[in-house]
Amino acid sequence: MSSLIGADESERARQLALAGLCLALIPLTLWAAASGTASVSLGDVVDAIVAFDGSREHLVVTSLRLPRVLAGLLAGSALAVAGAIMQAVTGNPLAAPDLLGVNAGAAAAVVAAMSLLGVGSQSALVWYAFAGAASAAAIVFMLGSFGRSGATPLKLVLAGAVLTACLSSLTTALLIYDQATFDSVRLWTAGSLSGRSMADIGAIAPYILTGLAAALLFRRHLMTLSLGAEAARSLGQNPLLWRGFAVVLVVLLAGGAVALTGPIGFVGLVIPHIARLTAGVDYRWIIPFSAAGGALAVVLADTLGRILFAIQSFPVGVSLALLGAPFFIWLARRFRGHGR
Amino acid sequence: MTRGIVLLLVLIAALMLASIAYGDHPLAWGDLFGEDPEAQMIILDLRLPRALLALLVGMGLAVAGAIAQAILRNPLADPGILGINAGAALAAMLLIVMLDGPSIQSLAIAGFAGAAVTAGALHVLSWRNGTTSTRIILIGIGLSAFAGAATTLLTAFGDIHDVQRAMIWLAGSVYHADWSSVRFLALWLISPLALAFIAARELDLIRFGDAAALSLGQRADLIRGLMIFLCTLLSGAAVAAAGLIGFVGLIAPHMARRLVGPAHARLLPMAALIGAALVMAADLLGRSVIAPAQLPAGITTALIGAPFFGYLLWRQRHVTA
Repeated sequence: MSSLIGADESERARQLALAGLCLALIPLTLWAAASGTASVSLGDVVDAIVAFDGSREHLVVTSLRLPRVLAGLLAGSALAVAGAIMQAVTGNPLAAPDLLGVNAGAAAAVVAAMSLLGVGSQSALVWYAFAGAASAAAIVFMLGSFGRSGATPLKLVLAGAVLTACLSSLTTALLIYDQATFDSVRLWTAGSLSGRSMADIGAIAPYILTGLAAALLFRRHLMTLSLGAEAARSLGQNPLLWRGFAVVLVVLLAGGAVALTGPIGFVGLVIPHIARLTAGVDYRWIIPFSAAGGALAVVLADTLGRILFAIQSFPVGVSLALLGAPFFIWLARRFRGHGR
Repeated sequence: MTRGIVLLLVLIAALMLASIAYGDHPLAWGDLFGEDPEAQMIILDLRLPRALLALLVGMGLAVAGAIAQAILRNPLADPGILGINAGAALAAMLLIVMLDGPSIQSLAIAGFAGAAVTAGALHVLSWRNGTTSTRIILIGIGLSAFAGAATTLLTAFGDIHDVQRAMIWLAGSVYHADWSSVRFLALWLISPLALAFIAARELDLIRFGDAAALSLGQRADLIRGLMIFLCTLLSGAAVAAAGLIGFVGLIAPHMARRLVGPAHARLLPMAALIGAALVMAADLLGRSVIAPAQLPAGITTALIGAPFFGYLLWRQRHVTA
């Protein structure tokens, strides 16, 4: 497998690139918080964070812009890291966090809550989404762990694909006959960062941050897991245990992200690939690169989408794929793997 | 193998009879072969073409799925990976949102065109001194994401009535079956299905990897290109005829593999029969479970197929790999 940074080049290049990515997040955050319909200067953004004085500009920043940017940062890095973990565990380039049924479970729970129980408030939906995501993933893991061989990657992904199909069918069936719910849920299903409050973020952030910290801390074990069950066992790792651990991480990360922003596709699948194509196949690097890159991509796409399309509620999932897919195709064309 | 095929044929025949006899206007078994003109009209003009269309669509999707899984060497592959579904969905959505009530025929043509354009673009974009399955998968992901985002954009901001109409088409159904579409699809599917069966050995080879396939004398790039073309013909036509019926292309080949093993000479016919039975059963269930309203077959397929696949996983839980 080729990469832009060859294995012979020093670790230093990767360290520098990672530090650069993380540093780039700071000006990006400020710029994202400053741009929008009401113009706010960069100085005001900084002031609103460090010396809040209750003026209109500061209120706009703290109650509208910052929650949006924070939601983007959290969801972006959570989804990208969850995707990297899924690809490490399954060894399948098609694996995305939603393959565990996380997105389909959250969507089914949200639609059922709105359509059958009449739940309408954003903050209540967050918990329905999280519960739906977690229970779907639990079912997939149980279905995929039948038998003596335990949760093998193939069984896991098949069980995930099957449950996802089943749940999305139920969701579509509900939506086809309930136009009112469909009307209010269709923006949610595209994945959007608008209208999130600090309280929502405060409720979900602990789960996502725990997941991120654990993924970064145990990245060496995830790397070992990506080598396959036999290699992992010969290196002294119990692959069954660590697969279960990886699934818990994905639920925390992707479940938290979908609860916060709705199902944003693309990040979880594509950012880990971009990390692999640029930083090499080592998951000890792919995971931190995905964390920084995912956050960067989501906030950048959201801000560009707001500016280019001039709609504040423009779904970030859409602008992300519209802007990111051509870049990804270009990158994938450079890929020179053979016979795999 | 033989026993499995006979059982499936019996199942398909039973589903066919049930589809003809059962409906909003129930017919007695005697009417099925009687002279009553009303019953004959219902059977010949409404129910029989619908059941046959479901059968053909299921066969096309299942075989296309088996081909995709072989050439991409990925158990999660289905025709959708080649961008076929996303392209067809985008084309149909554009047509529905831009035109005022487009006809079923124009939707079918647009769907097929969208599928063919994306599959063609996929092959062109992944060609760089030959193709590799990883590159096809990656670029397929990119193309599907792009077309999917454009569709979502239309979904989120289009007129709600248009969008909902589009969603029913996208969910995949055989409501509007008539003899002309059945005849057309049957003629269309014959040659790609036959070619796929003839090429069963090539599919066996390419599954082992390019190096093995080349050393056994196969021109892997050529075969992969031809197979993508066959896949597009099969599933593009199925999508044009019935909208997006997902799940069949993914699961029917897996069910067949669990029943008759991985050799394509046996896998392909088995998958075709399983796909046919799945879509027929799904349509029958979809129009009876909340009658007189109907659920599109694309929705019920997963509801029927998932438990059965779960059972297969459970039964073979001690088989490794």
